Amino acid sequence: MRRCRIESLGVSPPRRRLLAWGSLQHAVEAGERCLEASRYQPADVRVLVNAGVHRDEHVCEPAIACYVQHALGINIDFHGRRTLAFDLLNGGVGMLNAAHLITAQMLAGEIQVGMVVASEVNTDRRPDPESTFASSGAAMLLDISPRNGDGFGAFVFDTREEHADLYTAVVSLKEPRGRLLLRRRAELEDAYLAGASAAVTEALSRDGLRPGDVDLVVPAQVSPSFLRRLPGAIGFPAEKVADFTASLPDTLTTSVFLALDRARAAGSLGPGKKALLLACGSGVTVAAVTYQF
Amino acid sequence: MPQKIKIESLGIHLPEKVLTTEELMAACRHRPRLDLEKITGIVERRVAVDEYAGDLAIGAARRALAMSRYAPEDLDAIVCTSISKHHRPDEFSFEPATAVLVRRAVGAKKALVFDVVNACAGLLNGIWVLQGLIRSGAIRCGMVVSGEQNMPLAWTATREVRHSLDRQLAALTLGDCGAAVIVDGSPDEAHGFHWLDLVTGARHDHYCYSQPSARGGGGILITKARGLQIVGNRNFPAYLKQALDATGWDLNDVHHVIPHQVSVRAIRQGIKAVKRFMGCDLPDAFLCHVEKYANTTTASHFLALHDFMLQGKIQAGQNVVLVSGASGIVISHATFTLDDLPQRYRAHVNGGA
Repeated sequence: MRRCRIESLGVSPPRRRLLAWGSLQHAVEAGERCLEASRYQPADVRVLVNAGVHRDEHVCEPAIACYVQHALGINIDFHGRRTLAFDLLNGGVGMLNAAHLITAQMLAGEIQVGMVVASEVNTDRRPDPESTFASSGAAMLLDISPRNGDGFGAFVFDTREEHADLYTAVVSLKEPRGRLLLRRRAELEDAYLAGASAAVTEALSRDGLRPGDVDLVVPAQVSPSFLRRLPGAIGFPAEKVADFTASLPDTLTTSVFLALDRARAAGSLGPGKKALLLACGSGVTVAAVTYQF
Repeated sequence: MPQKIKIESLGIHLPEKVLTTEELMAACRHRPRLDLEKITGIVERRVAVDEYAGDLAIGAARRALAMSRYAPEDLDAIVCTSISKHHRPDEFSFEPATAVLVRRAVGAKKALVFDVVNACAGLLNGIWVLQGLIRSGAIRCGMVVSGEQNMPLAWTATREVRHSLDRQLAALTLGDCGAAVIVDGSPDEAHGFHWLDLVTGARHDHYCYSQPSARGGGGILITKARGLQIVGNRNFPAYLKQALDATGWDLNDVHHVIPHQVSVRAIRQGIKAVKRFMGCDLPDAFLCHVEKYANTTTASHFLALHDFMLQGKIQAGQNVVLVSGASGIVISHATFTLDDLPQRYRAHVNGGA
């Protein structure tokens, strides 16, 4: 069975800098690393999706993906080879939503190569204390896997809209330049865990797998307490759940892919291994998908 | 040949309050010395009162479902493509996705939900996304919905515009509207979307942008209108020709062209650009109703489809081309042949269902 795979992954992890980076810098850094590691040229990218939520100056038009496309030099002129760039917003599960869409377009024969980027930055001059998070970027190039069975399995998105008010992010327009107000209620982690349990069960079922078939669960690094409770909620032993929270803070949409990069670098994942990616975000939506390396 | 998708149902939610261009210009603190109505051809627009972008989206979604053969729980996906996400006064909402709020309001319990944002090309972009999901077999049917409460940008412009060349003037050409489209697979090759293509020329990403104002409260829309129009008109006719060629049509096969309803002048300039590129006279197929509703951004094409179907101008079996230009710059074209949607739509709306 033909599947979509991550041909290349690039990240721009949280770091201390004299001058803070903006969301575009993080996205472009991750995108450049991704393209450097890829066998594809920038011009091969037919679709570029930005899934990052929090952006420089809270720009809401044009799509941030256009700026990323421009900065990466991906078919920026009309005519000749073409690229469609757009934003996809769905909180912390946005990158997996984008991978799902690109997979569909590939299986439909519409495109051959797609790119997903995301970055998260709060550039407010006086950030709201509850709305701070580590800034970062992540990017992945997707294509059809040359080997049957490698790549993404069935994408599962578990949305519980009755919990939509547990996680809100608005920009207050009462103040000049706007101010991000990110609110996460205490019950959010419980909602994540309930969603994770259902999403993981369904993702495994749709791929005909059992928990023992998965080598490593790579979840969003929401918090140490979430990572402590997650193995019990999804029925996996703790040693099979990647926990980098000691050194990797929650980075929102990019979190799963920063953790995936860490796991690969540590040798926990590689050819022949099977991972389960687990993203959580507002909605409340939890996304799960298996990935065969 | 890949499966075609079609418009199964349409819902438009138009606020009742009418605001004339004269009234809007009179509200400007520093009224520019120009006749905006004469320049743009926009006489009036609709303005949402006591309802917000999310409400406009939900209203449109409910209307589309009321005419659809699908129940809310049948929808496999809801994609919200609004640019404006003003769900409460003085707030722009990034999370949760507006599609989640629509799903909750209409009871689409199994729908995959997320937002797609691509300026004024958003709704066509959303249809393109659903087309891929349907063709790949991931879903059977889905809804694309936009709730555009654009007037907060216009009100900021009334406070901040200083002169006749101010780059916020384009914000005074906006209007509010919600639009929802339900799409599914077409049972035959003759009807549905034949071609749906979007391309981003990101070299031109600086002509139009929106963000919170640095001078005070509210959001602003900055547009270099002349440059945007020049670049758009220089490039879109070739893509229009490509869309027609790929569909196997020439201009005489097209019954209606629905351009993005920006202004009467912009539409006329676009027609001239096509005429220059094609090197021939064009049939009288370009539809314009921007005088009544102004620029409703992502909802623009489907508000026009609604209006001209109700007028009886657009009929079943006719060939339609959608032409869109959006900040980015994104150029998009769609060609489709209507099934019995116009009759069903007129019967539904006029029947008061």
